[in-house]
Amino acid sequence: MLELRDLVKHYRSGEGEIVRAVDGVSASIAPGELVALYGPSGSGKTTLLMLIAALLRPDAGAVLMDGRDISELSDADAARYRLHELGFVRQSLNLVPGVSALDNAALKLLGVDIGAREAHRRVMPLLERLGLRARAKHRAEQLSMGERQRVMIARALSTEPKLLLADEPTGSLDSARSREVLGLLTEVCRERGVSVMLVTHDPQAAGYADRVHALLDGKLVDYQPDLAFVSAAGAQ
Amino acid sequence: MRLSNIVRLYRVRLRSRIVQELFAVVGIAVGVALLFSSQVAGTSLDGAVRKLTSGIVGQMRFQIAARDAHGFDAGLLSRVERIPGVLTAVPVLEANANVVGPQGSRSVDLVGTEPRLAYLGGSLVRKLGTSQLGRARAFMLPAPIAQQVGASSLQPVKLQIGARTVSSLLVPELLAPGSGVLGESPIAIASLRYTQRLTGMKGRLTSIYVRSQPRRDREVLAQLRRLAAGRLNVVPADFSDVLFHKAAEPTNQSTSLFSAISALVGFLFAFNALLLTVPQRRNLIEDLRLDGYTRKMIVEVLLFDALILGVLACLVGLALGELMSVELFRADPGYLSFAFPIGSERIVTWQSYAIALGGGLLAACVGVLVPLRRDLFSGLGHLVETPEPRIRDRTGLLLAGGTVCLATTIFVLTVAPRAAIVGIVSLAAGLLLFLPVLLDLAISAFARLQQVSTGASAYLAVIELRSATNRTRSIAIAATGAIAVFGSVAIQGARVDLQRGLDASAHGIDSLAAIWVTPAGASNSFTTTPFRNLETSAIARQSGVRAVRVYRGSFLDWGERRLWVLAPPRSAEHPIAPSQIVSGDVASATAELRGHGWIVLSQALAVEHHLHVGQPFVLPTPQPTVFRLAALSTNLGWPPGAIVLNAGDYARAWANEDPSAYQIELNAGASASAVSSEIRQSLGPRSGLRVTTSTQRQQLHYAQAAQGLSRLTQIRTLVLIAVVLAMSAAMGAAIWQRRIRLADMKIDGFGRGVLWRALLLESVVLLGAGCSIGALFGICGQLLLSRALVVIGGFPVVRAVDVSVAISSFVLVTAVAVAIVAVPGYVAARVRPAIGLQDR
Repeated sequence: MLELRDLVKHYRSGEGEIVRAVDGVSASIAPGELVALYGPSGSGKTTLLMLIAALLRPDAGAVLMDGRDISELSDADAARYRLHELGFVRQSLNLVPGVSALDNAALKLLGVDIGAREAHRRVMPLLERLGLRARAKHRAEQLSMGERQRVMIARALSTEPKLLLADEPTGSLDSARSREVLGLLTEVCRERGVSVMLVTHDPQAAGYADRVHALLDGKLVDYQPDLAFVSAAGAQ
Repeated sequence: MRLSNIVRLYRVRLRSRIVQELFAVVGIAVGVALLFSSQVAGTSLDGAVRKLTSGIVGQMRFQIAARDAHGFDAGLLSRVERIPGVLTAVPVLEANANVVGPQGSRSVDLVGTEPRLAYLGGSLVRKLGTSQLGRARAFMLPAPIAQQVGASSLQPVKLQIGARTVSSLLVPELLAPGSGVLGESPIAIASLRYTQRLTGMKGRLTSIYVRSQPRRDREVLAQLRRLAAGRLNVVPADFSDVLFHKAAEPTNQSTSLFSAISALVGFLFAFNALLLTVPQRRNLIEDLRLDGYTRKMIVEVLLFDALILGVLACLVGLALGELMSVELFRADPGYLSFAFPIGSERIVTWQSYAIALGGGLLAACVGVLVPLRRDLFSGLGHLVETPEPRIRDRTGLLLAGGTVCLATTIFVLTVAPRAAIVGIVSLAAGLLLFLPVLLDLAISAFARLQQVSTGASAYLAVIELRSATNRTRSIAIAATGAIAVFGSVAIQGARVDLQRGLDASAHGIDSLAAIWVTPAGASNSFTTTPFRNLETSAIARQSGVRAVRVYRGSFLDWGERRLWVLAPPRSAEHPIAPSQIVSGDVASATAELRGHGWIVLSQALAVEHHLHVGQPFVLPTPQPTVFRLAALSTNLGWPPGAIVLNAGDYARAWANEDPSAYQIELNAGASASAVSSEIRQSLGPRSGLRVTTSTQRQQLHYAQAAQGLSRLTQIRTLVLIAVVLAMSAAMGAAIWQRRIRLADMKIDGFGRGVLWRALLLESVVLLGAGCSIGALFGICGQLLLSRALVVIGGFPVVRAVDVSVAISSFVLVTAVAVAIVAVPGYVAARVRPAIGLQDR
């Protein structure tokens, strides 16, 4: 479904040096597959996600989604691609304060041409599935961190995307909550046949992934559990 | 994107930022209110005169008008009527009159005309035809004015016209059919014949209004000019609108300038409030972009935010502006009513609404979109773990831009003061460009001071002042104070300079005599109404009186200007005050004015007619006369300009010896007030003349000058109140949002007192720096505006860099704002440390 072909993305640092954030990455994800991507801080993980989300254009290579190169899309088409085919879950929990979990989860659906009532109708089963039925009417600040992250997952999945990109989704959670969120995330995605690319430096996540890759200095390398522990330690 | 979804997005986000949004609404509303009320003040001023003119002249095309109050022979009417192409010619006699009722008096423009004008003229004179007034010995007055003087229907009231006092029956307009047309115009209407009788001007007219047949305007105009023979004016029927517009120009310009500054302050107020919501909107944009919203959709969402904000602010602002224009700006600049009949009617045009609404909506859009432009139009690179891009140092760019602006201002000040508006705009732009750099310098100076102190408060204040996260907000807060104080100091300073100049001019004129005997009525404050010469021996016989001299004066229309003519007696020690001469030798000009055929003109007038000192020229008086230019003067406080000549030359050029005033000189040791009482008694109760001492006249003129400039003081006060609220609200909100950081500091062991003092110090440095920078630039602005008043308007300005206005504005704004900020600062400093440990 998703294929990365020799992706390259370089930056120029403040001192004028070339930083190879993504350096010839090739990989693929099959429908319904969950791939974890490990890497220490600064290894290029988020850049890779941005390239897949068509938020950055690669210097070389291609990002093929069902055979279509999304790096060639116009800004408007890229936005449509993110709206309908992609879900994005981030570490930072930008729920709108003062607003209910239901409304927060329905935010993405408002971008699709449907009304608020329909958006609520569509997102409610997701919230239920994520264990938030009783909390749907609670305001963002009344939710725990784990619940907030589940709202973000519901929001990402609300438009029924093919691919979910999760950037350190458990970064601000304790290990019990991390397990809970990761468990729900994988279950819900498998049920719906959604592919997931999970960027993490949490070694626990390996247990949830079908395949695990490692990213080091912008290059994809074989995953070694030791590397995961090193990167986890490094991140702390 | 569906509108309902945009509304939904707006609604769900509103709860979390309602306070900030309300601040922004108030800020924009303040700007809208000031813009709207000043617009209404301007349109009411011009509109009242326009309405009155059109109400009288109606469909008339031209007028042939006398150049003085004595008018011309009514026989001219039949000659005008015989001109081929003239459809109708209607005679009019106008005179200044003072209506005296049981409860007071009021100056009015007495208009006498024929009932047939009612069918051709405007709405104001229509009742002459519909009522019996055309044949009655009565005059009609607007009902509000009749009420002011306490006169009721068909009650005899006194009319003071020149030195005469006559009785007449009053018909308040309300009693006539179709009432309310006259509004509050200071106008009295009567039949021509009755007006001629009241004024003692039998067989005289002051103008003839002419309506020509279609496509024969040019032919009629040429014939009218031939009949005028250079002794009467032939002008469009509504020419008094043009004359008034010229006279009111400085008032309208100064009000507009201050309103623009007020609107800018209002916008900065709103901008400060909107900055509080920027982090939240930024997060929203980031998320929406990740979710797949296009830029267009996000801009739609933000524009909807701006639209709601702008519409609410405009509604509040228009209501506030309505209130201000009724309660505050309604008083007309009294000095203009001496030459024009100005009503106190409020005229609101659709343009005033459009400008205010457009300004409000634009401010809202700019305020919402500009701080987020990068988030909207750049990539989401900051989400990527890439090296920090090099922060561009814009200091050099800001300094260069600021220097260019300052250089422009200096150029305008020294070389091209006529471009004062450009100078003020470039000075304000320079202020905003220099502000970040000067603010950094102020913070650095404070940091150096802090190094010698051992207190933690100063240290914490420096940290916060230098924090990059607070920078935009700090600059916005400082800019708000700076612009407001800048405008306040510049315009108030120029106002003080002008007031001093006007007072000096009034002093110079009023001290020409110890006692003045003039026709009564407020419209005669400039001594411009002639009256029949009296037997003055009774006055001269009063003990203490050394001499009684004749003073003449009037208004004369020359081009588009209605000039003030002053003709003191030849024997006057200073026919014109030396301080008012701007070009030419004072001693020789004084000697020449005492001679024959010399005149002093306002500089602006001389420039307009390309005249220089010593040059002969023909003055378009009733008897066009050649004069030589003795010197150039200021405009003596009358915006269109003034002419000074001696009373003898005046009588020759106007072909009339009627005085406008008697100047009484006293023997040494005589009491002016005692002698004036005796003269008043000798004139008797039926005299239409008023007796005032030189001091009383000066006080009256000082008060009139202050009243004329009062609108600027009122707007300045409002701007200062607005800026105090804006700065304290923005600073207070910024402090309130910092409670978690304050809780962290408490966890680190800082006490409540230390934190409160730190917040206060930070506020003092930020607000004080902004206001002091504004005050410094304001002094430059004062110099620029005062010079422009001299060069463009020819006003008498006493220029002095008076730092008291600057210091008072700076201290007042800073002290009050800091005092207000102290409250949220105190509450924030009492934050529970536990908040710092909670989920963020």
